[in-house]
Amino acid sequence: MAELVVLRSLWNNLGTGKSICKRCLQTKTCDLIAVRQFYVTSSLFGKRRPPAIEEDIEIPGLERITFADRMYRVPGLAEPTFPEWNRGWRDPFQDPGPKYEEMPLFKEKACYVFNQKTKLLEGVKQALWLTKSKLIEGLPKQILCLAEDPDSRIENEDDRVQRAISHARFWDTTEVRPRKEKYCPVLLSNLLHLCRMLSLRYPSLSKRILAENYKVAAYWTRESSLFQVRGINGLLLNSTSPLAPLATQEEVQATESHILETFYPVSPTIDLQEVHVYEEKNDTGFRQGYPYPHAHTLYILNPLETCARFEPYQLQAKMIMFAFGNLLARARLLYGEQPRVLETPLVMQTIATNGRMFQFVVFQLNTTDLSSSDGIKNLVWLDRDQELYAYAKCLPEIKKKIVVVPAGLSGYRPETFRKFLAMYLHGAVQPSIKTEASAS
Amino acid sequence: MAAFCVRCVGNSKLTNYMQLKQVRILHNEVLAQSPTALSPLYPPILPSLTAKSKAAKQRRRDEYYKKVYAAPSVQEKIRLLTCLQRLKYVVNTQTSAINADRWYQHFTKTAYLSGLPEHFTNSGMDQVAETGDIVTSKALSDPDFEELKSLFCTALLQENFYMRKRTPFLYRTIEHYFSPFLNNAVSALTTLLAAQNPLLKESSLDFKPQVNFYWMRGERVVPRGHRKGSVDPIRFQIDDHPHSQIRVPKQLPEFVPLDYKVPAEVPVIKLEPDRLPLFKRQYDNHIFIGTKVTDPCVYGHTQFHLISDRMHRGRLTKANLEDQIEVRLRANAISSLFAWTGAQAMYQGFWSHEDVTRPFVSQCVITDGKYYSFFCYQLNTLALCVETDCNNPRKNICWGTESMPLYDTVEENDVKGFNDDTLKLLVQFLLYRPKAL
Repeated sequence: MAELVVLRSLWNNLGTGKSICKRCLQTKTCDLIAVRQFYVTSSLFGKRRPPAIEEDIEIPGLERITFADRMYRVPGLAEPTFPEWNRGWRDPFQDPGPKYEEMPLFKEKACYVFNQKTKLLEGVKQALWLTKSKLIEGLPKQILCLAEDPDSRIENEDDRVQRAISHARFWDTTEVRPRKEKYCPVLLSNLLHLCRMLSLRYPSLSKRILAENYKVAAYWTRESSLFQVRGINGLLLNSTSPLAPLATQEEVQATESHILETFYPVSPTIDLQEVHVYEEKNDTGFRQGYPYPHAHTLYILNPLETCARFEPYQLQAKMIMFAFGNLLARARLLYGEQPRVLETPLVMQTIATNGRMFQFVVFQLNTTDLSSSDGIKNLVWLDRDQELYAYAKCLPEIKKKIVVVPAGLSGYRPETFRKFLAMYLHGAVQPSIKTEASAS
Repeated sequence: MAAFCVRCVGNSKLTNYMQLKQVRILHNEVLAQSPTALSPLYPPILPSLTAKSKAAKQRRRDEYYKKVYAAPSVQEKIRLLTCLQRLKYVVNTQTSAINADRWYQHFTKTAYLSGLPEHFTNSGMDQVAETGDIVTSKALSDPDFEELKSLFCTALLQENFYMRKRTPFLYRTIEHYFSPFLNNAVSALTTLLAAQNPLLKESSLDFKPQVNFYWMRGERVVPRGHRKGSVDPIRFQIDDHPHSQIRVPKQLPEFVPLDYKVPAEVPVIKLEPDRLPLFKRQYDNHIFIGTKVTDPCVYGHTQFHLISDRMHRGRLTKANLEDQIEVRLRANAISSLFAWTGAQAMYQGFWSHEDVTRPFVSQCVITDGKYYSFFCYQLNTLALCVETDCNNPRKNICWGTESMPLYDTVEENDVKGFNDDTLKLLVQFLLYRPKAL
């Protein structure tokens, strides 16, 4: 606390020549040269008012009289300007590096890059504007049918999922409880292990492979601004066959009349990394000839506990942007660089979790013509904030001698895992006919 | 039995004599007439708990053992055995010490047999036989085997060719190219073989788990300090981080009976462990199989280890240590599997003074992506400390193979020279299960 007071006072007194006496926390004007404060650089805290930079005024016709020949500073004479000295060779310890303007990939026009650490201010709204998409709350009915289908369930599903959660949340460490950075990826791998066991029943599930640490690159223009999606995004489940489009042609045509939501006065480029040195690259992360070219599901983790963690709306925006980036790269490979409406829309799923809350997104890319805000839009189905369980406590929470939350796993919701499993099975398994009949 | 009056008993020399000779004080004629028919009137005379004497130390040790025997749960038993922190040797599973496998065999009382147990050598892929209590059936049909082979090849090519990757960091090449490949390979194996091996359906697959074990073996006389001259047990700790492991709810059957006469000898090393070199540290003593005791899957099936770049055979060949390639793999297998099986046994309530009543069996595969070595381990005894080891004929057994390549090279988008035998052995390893299933 004392440090905060010191810092605030120092910031307030910046450039005034006053400093703060740390012992008594009072502002004093004192001789700062004698006081050496080793914990921070003096320039950082304004202990000395920076000297006023005087611009050299060039008046044509008038000769500037400088103290260059005297070789010492004289109060009335101007400071001489010498030509820049070139060493003649590149000393790596004294090399400031090339300036942005001198780099070969420098462009005047800025490009706004979305990477894995970007947290958009306007969240889902901004992501929808950037990807020219229409939002539909809830998952598409094909996936919901599959979730309610009793045939596509694991044996002892509830018991096994609760065991998987308990392993991740309680049993996986020698300490009392594992940290979120540990239990979040372990929970995801346990749930995927359970889902994979169903490939005994549905052999087409084995035509898939997981890829981690791959980098995607995709670029597009939206209303005269250039945007890019770049970098490592998460764990990708690739498959040999693409996902079938989820919305009918009529629904796709109906998006033409939808108006994208803007958030004036905030610019749509907010929170995106502005770069002038860039390459307009379209890359799926995999070379040509890869046996599993179609992206099926992207799993994004939010394992951090500190300020670096993603809020739900930021995580949902990240899911939408990376799903869009992956699909756009693949669409450009299939249909070419020209912006156009796709005959067969491309579909991809994204699941994000922080170890307890799951977010589900299904993205359908209908068009690569993204320059104007009119025309056919892409479709996003979003199912937000689905809890897998309410609490996983090592010790019971007791308030006024009443057990409010018991120890162990409580508040387990099987529907969330069924949606997770349905999204895993989607594309390889059709829901059984009786479920469809009961739904319709 | 001699009888003494109460006044004479006050003499300390007499008291000591009485302790040695187990005499009893009688103080009336009724008792003197029929001494054997009655229970003792006074509680047994025991040595002091707090005195600075050998008898008192022995009494303290006995009280401690009584507490451990009487512990109400396994967690409490393990807590009592590991609560006291003392300096201990930290045994690294991936070590650069020369001939570490003989030292590790000595520390863990393991006999090494080259080759795999009879179960893997007798039963081929195409035989249907019932040998004793182990059932071997037609492991994998040809189409399934081809599918597994193609999955392996694709996973290998994905990491080495298809995925665009930057150059790996220093000493992280194997992890960079082969860790994700092994992730996919292990998942594919577990999924495809779950049809034949129902145990794998109930299994739990851990990635980058933690395995710890703490034990005592041998004694040493403290050379200097205020405890100079006192006898201390030598403590060891293994902290292992395999690449992945499969844990199952049912125990794997034994390869050989508990009292099998092992043809190989356990090497005895007279030098102290510091000479290996092994270094001492003091920190929490952990006994951990990868999950806590409350998990239903407390038995181990197979571990997969990825060796570090420092143990890569290319480096060892350049440093004129070609013979050490297999030695290091053996040392890794013995230490990792001893720690895993030992921890599994402790989770069932066994410890050095309550030796195992059934053998604990686990397997491991150590690889650098191209070369695979297969090891099986049977834990027959946990009684390794000096008190319990003096009359213990049992030895732990480790079987192992030399490293065999899975493929020759990866060129562009093609895997050349794929070795089916290595994959078949891998499949056999994962199909090992109890007779009932």
